[in-house]
Amino acid sequence: MARFTIRTGATALAVAAVVGLAGCSSPVAAENASSSDGAPGTGGTAIGFIMVGPRDDYGYNQAVYEASQILADEHPDLEILTAENVPEDDSAVTTMEQMIDRGAKIIFATSYGHLDAAQQVAEDHPDVVVVQQGNTIAGDILPNSGTYFGTVYEPMYLAGIAAGAATESGKLGYVYAFPIPQTIANINAFERGAQTVNPGVETITVSTSSWCDPAAQREAANSLLSQGVDVITQHQDCTKTVIDATEAAGAHTVGYHADASELAPEGWLTGAVWDWAPLYSDIVATILDGKFTGSEFNANYRVGYKTGTNPFVLAGYGPSVSAETQAAIEDAQAFLATDAGSPFVGPVLDQDGAVKVADGVTPDYAEIDAMDYFVQGVVGDLAN
Amino acid sequence: MSLIIDVLTGGVRGGTSILYAALGETVSQRSGVINLGTEGGMLGGALTAYIIAAETGNPWLGVLGGGIVGAALALVHALLVLWRGANQFASGLMVLFLALGLTSLFGASYVGRTITPFTTWAIPVLSDIPVLGPVLFDQDPLVYLSYLAVPAAWFVLFRTRAGLLLRTAGERSDALTVHGADVRVVRTWAVGAGGFLAGVGGAHLSIAYTNTWFENMVAGRGFIAVALVILAAWGPVKVMAGAYLFGAALALGPALQARGIPVNQFLLHVIPFVLTLVVLAALGRRSSNAAPAELQRVFENGAPAT
Amino acid sequence: MTTLLDPTPSLVEPGERPDRRAAALRATGRWAAAIGGALVIFSALLLLRGANPLEALGDMWVSTFLRGRSLAEILNVMAPITLAALAVLVPARAGLTNVGGEGQLMLGAIAAGGTALALDQQLPGPLVLVLALVAGGVAGAAWAGVAAILRLRFQVDEAVSTLLLNFIALDLLLFLIYQPWRESAAGQPTTRELADAAKMPVITGTVINVGIIVALAATVVVILVLGRTRWGFRLSVVGGNAEAARRAGMNVAGLVISALIVGGLLAGLAGAIQFTGIEYKLRAGFGLQIGYLGFLASWLARHRPLPVLLASFVLAALAIAGDSLQLDAQLPAASVNILTALILAAVLGWTTVKARRA
Repeated sequence: MARFTIRTGATALAVAAVVGLAGCSSPVAAENASSSDGAPGTGGTAIGFIMVGPRDDYGYNQAVYEASQILADEHPDLEILTAENVPEDDSAVTTMEQMIDRGAKIIFATSYGHLDAAQQVAEDHPDVVVVQQGNTIAGDILPNSGTYFGTVYEPMYLAGIAAGAATESGKLGYVYAFPIPQTIANINAFERGAQTVNPGVETITVSTSSWCDPAAQREAANSLLSQGVDVITQHQDCTKTVIDATEAAGAHTVGYHADASELAPEGWLTGAVWDWAPLYSDIVATILDGKFTGSEFNANYRVGYKTGTNPFVLAGYGPSVSAETQAAIEDAQAFLATDAGSPFVGPVLDQDGAVKVADGVTPDYAEIDAMDYFVQGVVGDLAN
Repeated sequence: MSLIIDVLTGGVRGGTSILYAALGETVSQRSGVINLGTEGGMLGGALTAYIIAAETGNPWLGVLGGGIVGAALALVHALLVLWRGANQFASGLMVLFLALGLTSLFGASYVGRTITPFTTWAIPVLSDIPVLGPVLFDQDPLVYLSYLAVPAAWFVLFRTRAGLLLRTAGERSDALTVHGADVRVVRTWAVGAGGFLAGVGGAHLSIAYTNTWFENMVAGRGFIAVALVILAAWGPVKVMAGAYLFGAALALGPALQARGIPVNQFLLHVIPFVLTLVVLAALGRRSSNAAPAELQRVFENGAPAT
Repeated sequence: MTTLLDPTPSLVEPGERPDRRAAALRATGRWAAAIGGALVIFSALLLLRGANPLEALGDMWVSTFLRGRSLAEILNVMAPITLAALAVLVPARAGLTNVGGEGQLMLGAIAAGGTALALDQQLPGPLVLVLALVAGGVAGAAWAGVAAILRLRFQVDEAVSTLLLNFIALDLLLFLIYQPWRESAAGQPTTRELADAAKMPVITGTVINVGIIVALAATVVVILVLGRTRWGFRLSVVGGNAEAARRAGMNVAGLVISALIVGGLLAGLAGAIQFTGIEYKLRAGFGLQIGYLGFLASWLARHRPLPVLLASFVLAALAIAGDSLQLDAQLPAASVNILTALILAAVLGWTTVKARRA
């Protein structure tokens, strides 16, 4: 029994510690709560970026990081807060809250899976603008939130032309993470681009179930190569392992996110490269002007070749891409910039031959963003 | 047929890092110490090897450095459990968290670096043998080294005086005094050597298998190695077979997908773990008997015989 | 000699007051020295990496404890860790090593998720919440029960079987979210989100999740059951000397099973809380490492329920502190694991009364 009293004493101590902490934390809370009366996103001292991976991954997150640093030059009075390796779960909320506590009134949540957390933070902080990169908000959009992305499937369509011209086996490989709509659109556009120069070509898909799992990438690349695939591209955050394995096997690489031609001096064809800076710049300028609510960014904003400022551009060509192929790609790019242009001008058939886009129809960005099927010529099953 | 070759080749290629780590864990457990920190040793080895390969351009130096860091992390475990009386499971997990933190702190600036990796080198003549050739003899040098490491580990454990002392430490530590050896010293050596091998396993992952460094890239392989040693009943040759089984389970998913066969890969991943439990249950008391006696006491941890 | 685990562990043995005070003082001194040592080594490493350790640690302290939401964030992370620690503590009383909190937690989350998502459109939210918590506890208990059966019928050590069962649980979770329970084929693999009405409420006026109250209540119950019931007493006897327990006519097998199952129940509850209170969806990476953190918390606390609260509070705070390293010192968030590990090492290795031979 003596011991029990000691334990009770300790409980009291623990409770006191907890209460003490609560006590001393409340004044800070009050201070933070005194926000400006201005429009959402104005009056802050910092801009926050959360990234799902490391900032130098030769890929998705590196592109985000580099563009965020350009904002630092444009807005020397604003601190740029970056957080790497932020998981796509509830802990992202905590990280964003900490950014807000450090004066951020603008937050970029840059991974597809950050949307739930971004929405929650936007709801809890009407004075903070939270924009999310790549996902789509279903239903009503809060006055202080939005999503943005480019039509990355457009450059992938162009890269598909280079791949279709390069392949000798007629088999292209696609290593991807998850069948999210932007990935599905990329894979479909790549296959359709290749078909324009090589009608019977196939794109074989392998999912790694992770944005970056190098071991799974290596096995995925090897299993594709052993099937006779001679051009490999990918939708992964970190891209080095797949490019290395492809180059070592003497196959061709179509890059993603960044120009990695130095990793594949022989096999590099081209790729989709990201340049977020102009778009980030526009978004931040709109927010700081107090004009975010009701603007084009207070929505599911998409930009492509038609508007001229697609953040995704085609990388430089590798040594094996012929002048003829380059000309075909330039023609296709000019076509994409026209009103009727799209990688998905009907007829588009799915893997079972069902018509998904009718003959002659040009689907809009929203329809392409909602793709949930692979087109004919793609080998693989969505649900894996 | 090509599917079988692909899966077996992938099994050897992907199983090699697990093999090194499990071989190291065998040495450690044979002396009576279980090290859940193997996962951490692999992480430390993976990053160190990558850094050294990036800075010197010599992957072999990377392997050496990876092994040394793996050993150093294991010695932290040895210090705590052998010399400071800490619980083996808790200390092992501590080492894992230590390695996670250290590799995160010092690895961040190497994420995007390029290195001179090991490359695949087909052994003339042998690689032309049908099936076995591509599976076993068209691999990277660290895979070939593992073909030597397995019999070497067996030889040291079962045919040398050092091995005898080590196994005695695991079976009847009080008998060690007859040989004039201190059980804690013997075990410290064993745990350190085991950590070295775990570090080499990590090195295979970063500079031979994936040619990349990425935070937490070991992704559970160290835990697999610990489980595998028990499945393999503390025998180096069975460890080798088990490592390839786990490797093949990981390679089967992509190989099937590349053939357009839809499969939920987690049904495949889980097979080796279920198999391990089934084998343990089937062997029952016999599997416990195969365990080094002092290790058995660590598991039981003073638990009641039931 | 091999009893690494003291069945009635206590740094302070009952005795004369002055002795007890001196012992407590010594214990406090050892703890302070251990944590101080950990901080010194961590600072040295930060220095090596070119960061200013005093600044980094100062920022970490402010960011982790002195912001408006600090306490809420810590308590929300702490709740499942506490339950996962109790899941280690109860079996440890009977001399058992439950390394399977991770898997039991996942099974708890799977069962809670399955139940809640099946019912949240039909039944009132609070009822769904209660059913989800019950389902989580039962599933966690059942998963631990597998280990108990393997031990009793097949002589497979629970330390090994619970570790293996963690991986099987993880693959089961991934299997479910990749196919049968997936919200939509086009998208990241997750279940749909739990309906708002069935989510665990927060304490009025705060963002603190009710989960912490469940965890505190569970701690009190564990204290009472271990300290005041025959079952609790018998567990300690079995953990101390199984042979003596058997001679005294105790049902040792039954006690071993029940200890593991109660442990699994607590871990399953942790998973249910994580689902209904924090994540609302099952997804890859759900609740990762909470089971292992709970294991460490129980060891930090030497398997005593009240100190478990302090240990889980510290581990939760450290988990939050990683953000500060990243935002203030531009160091990777996961670097904070070094500090976690060093504190553990110090406590595991340098705060025992005496180092025992392994």
